[in-house]
Amino acid sequence: MSKVVVITSGKGGVGKTTTSANIATGIAQQGKKTVAIDFDVGLRNLDLVMGCERRVVYDFVNVIRNEAKLQQALIRDKRVDSLYILPASQTRDKDALDPEGVGRIIEELKQMGFEYIICDSPAGIEKGAQMAMYFADEAIVVTNPEVSSVRDSDRVLGLLAAKTSRAELGGPAIRTHLLLTRYSPVMVKRGEMLSVGDVLELLGIPLLGVIPESKAVLQSSNKGTPAILDETTDVAQAYLDVVFRYLGQERQHRFIEEEKRSFLGRLFG
Amino acid sequence: MASLTVLRLRSTDLVLIERQLRVKIAQLPHLFLDAPVLIDLGALAEGAAALAFGDLVGALKSCKLVPVAVANVPDGLRTAVTAAGLGVWRPPTAPGRARGDGDSPEAPPAEASAAESATTVAPPSEAAPAVSAMPALSRSPQSHHGGPMVVTQAVRGGQIVYAQNNDLVVLAPVNSGAQVIADGHVHIYAPLRGRAVAGAQGLAGARIFCQKLEAELVAISGAYIMAEEIPAKMRGKAVQIFLENGECQIAPL
Repeated sequence: MSKVVVITSGKGGVGKTTTSANIATGIAQQGKKTVAIDFDVGLRNLDLVMGCERRVVYDFVNVIRNEAKLQQALIRDKRVDSLYILPASQTRDKDALDPEGVGRIIEELKQMGFEYIICDSPAGIEKGAQMAMYFADEAIVVTNPEVSSVRDSDRVLGLLAAKTSRAELGGPAIRTHLLLTRYSPVMVKRGEMLSVGDVLELLGIPLLGVIPESKAVLQSSNKGTPAILDETTDVAQAYLDVVFRYLGQERQHRFIEEEKRSFLGRLFG
Repeated sequence: MASLTVLRLRSTDLVLIERQLRVKIAQLPHLFLDAPVLIDLGALAEGAAALAFGDLVGALKSCKLVPVAVANVPDGLRTAVTAAGLGVWRPPTAPGRARGDGDSPEAPPAEASAAESATTVAPPSEAAPAVSAMPALSRSPQSHHGGPMVVTQAVRGGQIVYAQNNDLVVLAPVNSGAQVIADGHVHIYAPLRGRAVAGAQGLAGARIFCQKLEAELVAISGAYIMAEEIPAKMRGKAVQIFLENGECQIAPL
């Protein structure tokens, strides 16, 4: 049984691609055959974040236009066996995506036995984002704890309920999850950031996890190694929690409260 | 659901028509933007012959409406209508076609079918009716068979819910950037953070009820209150909003 999961947000720069890379890697680490598709046609970031940018020969749009076979475009991850990436094209724009083509490829991926098909949505609510969400069974809505990000996520949740294959064919509603990223309990305490509770009250969907603000995210993106692979960081721990929670395990929410720092830590911090 | 706005003319005075239309549109700009319009000349009877049809079409287009067809076309105007690229609307003859939900079951058969999921552009009730409301709209919405429109899911930013000729009951939050509109009352058993409009076709007795008032705007029959005009002591409270002396009043529930 395959699951199509869209990682979406409306607003840019909130961590969709980082989340796609980490969740896809984490799920694949559990032995599930997983593919991450970059829907950001024209910009192409996912391959960089996942460290396979030099192995891109054919891309998503080539496959849609029958210029290449799906097997030729899929890149197998060198670190995690059951993980694949379908990169975006850098030379086309989002008009190259059409529902027939995207639907055909997703169907083909299902036939190939992929259990999780992770769709990394571009920012905005235009064609690219709509194509990324159109065939989704589930959605992970990535939100930063600030008002404009929350408002955009709300808009996207409205689109998920109306402009998707499930909505149009009258199927069961898409399951939605909230992932709060770049969270800083210190700033929340100072009243400079919305709290988890504030965001949950505004959006009203279940919380999948909270990812703390951390330099490790930037460093791992630059290195092309998803943060989840270095288990010593709090970001990796947070994403691991998210993956296990997503796969059905009970995990208590962490990184919501301010860390208690030791006396020495405070002296030298 | 197919939906068509019916513009029922009561006058051939284009200046008057356009002025009243603009007032109406200003109340619900989103609803009328690029809306297809069926022009009904039935109420003009013999007077329809005096209508400068080409100019009427121009006036509608300048209001960002899209006239698509004309109902009750007198023979003399038929050429002008087709020359303007509009269709001649004949009400479907099979009476079974008129859907019952929220439409005008008491209207004569021809009216009911023409009004199939239709709304009518009407002036505010106090204005001289050059453009008038459907008879069905003056009835109290409670007399409808179908009962109010019920929404159980959150109404999110960018979404518009419109209960036509009806009351609207929302059981989930109406978030900022969302609009809920009813020709009758609006009930929200959750926070109202977006916009709510009751009595959208001019029903002055319509009210808005909400469990937690955090609205961007509330309006009844054209009168409205913006967020900053909502008294601090009413914010976040369970309230009702109603019209008194032509102005919106907010009272705790």
